[in-house]
Amino acid sequence: MNNKKQTIKTAFIESLPLAIAIAAYGLSYGVLATQTSLSLANTLAMSLFVFSGSVQLVVVAMLAAGATATSVLIATALLNLRNLLYGAALAEGLSHATRKWRGLLSFGVSDEAFVLGSARFQKHGPDPLYFGIVAATFYLAWITSSYIGAVIGGQVDPLKWGLDLAFPITFTALLIPSLRGKPVIATALVAVTITVILQYVTPGNEFTIILAGVLSPLVGLYVSRRARDNE
Amino acid sequence: MNNWMLIALLSISTYLSRVIGVEIMAGREMNATLRLYFNYVPIAIIAALIVNQMLVPTDGGTVFSLPVLIGCLATAITIKVIHTFLPSLIIGIAAGLLARYFL
Repeated sequence: MNNKKQTIKTAFIESLPLAIAIAAYGLSYGVLATQTSLSLANTLAMSLFVFSGSVQLVVVAMLAAGATATSVLIATALLNLRNLLYGAALAEGLSHATRKWRGLLSFGVSDEAFVLGSARFQKHGPDPLYFGIVAATFYLAWITSSYIGAVIGGQVDPLKWGLDLAFPITFTALLIPSLRGKPVIATALVAVTITVILQYVTPGNEFTIILAGVLSPLVGLYVSRRARDNE
Repeated sequence: MNNWMLIALLSISTYLSRVIGVEIMAGREMNATLRLYFNYVPIAIIAALIVNQMLVPTDGGTVFSLPVLIGCLATAITIKVIHTFLPSLIIGIAAGLLARYFL
């Protein structure tokens, strides 16, 4: 019981800084959504049932630019490709949950929940409860803030409060302690290189993260194998 | 297509993309190489996400965000030295904000 309480407390504390940043994006989504053809009910329903910052912001931007529903669906399907990778990487950490719970927990797979969940699973092994609390915290932050954003309009500036910094800084705090051993460091360096090259060659390319996530671990595997062969 | 239909299709496609990865791999015995590969995937994605947020796409190009870089560096050094999560975040955000207003 104490372990469960401790897990809930840890999950909540670790997800709070990101939840604040998610809320800032939620406000932006809410504000932008009401400037398109989406009603307040549509705006809130999308947060309740889609629950994806990147997908929802792209939908709003495309609708505002007059895109067709078909092109919106194709663009979001491409955006969602990385969820397959996240799900596969998180599967082992969620494997202790029943199938029904896994189905529910899968709804919480996102960039931020993936980062916290995978860091936790690597340190402590499978922990569906931790992932559930993290996902629920993000979900509440997202739907509440998108509702407030849709109601109050553009009176909050995330840049002024440094909320845009919260994502990369939290990710850095999670990444640095994991950088141990040549294969891991090589993986991170290759991911950085791929991202920089792709961002300069094709700015804003939605495949950047997917390509870095798929290709860089192959270099890690190669370095690991070479180290083993040299032993 | 009306907005409700679009939201329904977005909800289904997004959920499927999430659940497929989890369900295909859940409960399966991974071979050692695949397991090692998936151990490196989070490192690659987190590193890519950090750099991705330092590089801001603009009209026809990419701009490097110095405040994000300084904030991340301050966080990296702090967590390496004091090994504590929350103070590292606070120092990183403070450093990033200072860079934004003074550089």
